[in-house]
Amino acid sequence: MSAVEAIDLRRSFSSRTSVLRRAKETVEAVRGVSFVIERGEIFGLLGPNGAGKTTTIKMLITLLLPSSGSAKVLGYDVARDAVKVRRRIGYAFGGDRGLYDRLSAQDNLRYFAELYAVPPRTQRARIGELLELVGLRGREKERVEGYSRGMRQRLHIARALLHDPAVLFLDEPSIGIDPVGARELRATVAALAGQGKTILLTTHYMFEADELCDRIAVIGSGRILAEGTPADLKSRVRGGRVLEVETFGVLDESVDDVRRLDGVRSVTVEARTQSQVLHVSMDSEAELTAAVLGRIGDVRVGRVASREPTLEDAYVELIGER
Amino acid sequence: MSAIRIFWIGGLISFRALFHWLNPWIYVPTLLVAPLFQILLFVYVGRAARIESDSFFLIGNALQGAAVPCLFAMGHTIAGERFTQTLGLLLTTPASRVPLFLGRAAPVVANGWIVSMFGLGVGGVLVGVDIPPDRWVPLALVVALASASCTGLGLINAALGLKVRQTATFSNIIVGILLVVCGVNVPLAALPTWLRAVSEWLPLTHAVEAARLLADGDTLRSVVPLLGREAGLAAGFIVVGLVILRAFERSSRRTASLERQ
Repeated sequence: MSAVEAIDLRRSFSSRTSVLRRAKETVEAVRGVSFVIERGEIFGLLGPNGAGKTTTIKMLITLLLPSSGSAKVLGYDVARDAVKVRRRIGYAFGGDRGLYDRLSAQDNLRYFAELYAVPPRTQRARIGELLELVGLRGREKERVEGYSRGMRQRLHIARALLHDPAVLFLDEPSIGIDPVGARELRATVAALAGQGKTILLTTHYMFEADELCDRIAVIGSGRILAEGTPADLKSRVRGGRVLEVETFGVLDESVDDVRRLDGVRSVTVEARTQSQVLHVSMDSEAELTAAVLGRIGDVRVGRVASREPTLEDAYVELIGER
Repeated sequence: MSAIRIFWIGGLISFRALFHWLNPWIYVPTLLVAPLFQILLFVYVGRAARIESDSFFLIGNALQGAAVPCLFAMGHTIAGERFTQTLGLLLTTPASRVPLFLGRAAPVVANGWIVSMFGLGVGGVLVGVDIPPDRWVPLALVVALASASCTGLGLINAALGLKVRQTATFSNIIVGILLVVCGVNVPLAALPTWLRAVSEWLPLTHAVEAARLLADGDTLRSVVPLLGREAGLAAGFIVVGLVILRAFERSSRRTASLERQ
């Protein structure tokens, strides 16, 4: 039996346009998502904002009902067996909210330990273990309002683990955390996988997914665009190269001209403070540096470099194919 | 065992979590001192207009003082979770909802009782109403029932918080209705017939009447029918509140109403 199984999951949201004009708008957030996560796997769900990652997770953790399709967690249907699913899963999301700020970390954990029916005799020890695991031992009596975002994030994870769930859903857990905090968080997630937990992780950070995930699904506009190991996904753009061109004031029309060049697979523009960096994904046999520079026009050009594709390039190419 | 712990320990922790901001600097002026002004206002209006007794206004307004903390606090038990974005986390726990939400109601009843008893005691001293010492125990029981029925109505208000964000709007309206309709300042006999019929189904009406009779020297036994009706309303509101909570929690999975912050 798989840990998580989603079959053609769909979810749409309806909203009214205004109080007076009652026109109904329907948005399809998830449009037929299917995947299987085996026990003990770390499965990454990558996609841009609004791609449907969080909605997918909310259906799997029983907070939302699918509009159609089905999903099972450890064999239990997320729509029909909600309480059984809830007993077996943990959920943590990124950001500052989702904690009782005026309580200490210990009281936040105590409260959820009661809600997850952690036996009173083992509760204290369990909370102690988790505080140790997430590196908050010694700070547990402080109010959460004084915690950094990284500390809050680790507390989120401790809370999700209180009842020792078999499956863990982590929705952008490292968002907004400094590099050191993010590294510690990745180490914690890796340690949990080492203990045999099944983890579904959503993230925007490609290196994080590359480092942690056994398999990845790229989701865009509510659909799975590609699925496989990080190596599989990278191989999609392997046989290609990426040309990086730093420009100062490049025009949109020039970027479109570059896109139209034979041998160019995709072009993304990374805006920096003073400059714009074009990432031009191209066939390996194509020698396009001169052509690209020609299309950019008269704007000032800085560094030009060619490199092997990364998971991020694969992701950008997949998202760009939509 | 788990349900009992969720009721008591969970109820107390969640009350601290949601109302820790209510420190003495806020609590005393807002919940203890401000209701005294309402008592003084109506007592002086009554004296100026030469209608009813000081005791009439003292008891009515002191009991009505419980309505504000009970209604607003119960509404906040859901609306506050929505604000801190803990509502989704709460609802993805397997905890039974009955002890979860009743546990949140228990401290609210206790707080309403404290606010109301303070108003009765200090307000009585301020306006010179002398309630005999042997009346205080039965009055405390009546105030507890009034707080429970207001909290029950607050639970219904809280349940609406699963559907909409603005429970405080409902609380304001309900407090206003209770002030006008329940015999707090306007004798029931002076109300239009239809409003009198409405008042029968609202918290406070029977408790206020029972408290006035007790203060006038009636025995506890003689007001038992009134207390029974107040307790029945409290139980009814709580049951309806829990049913609505269950229904709205289910529908929130379908309508995504929890998504609105």
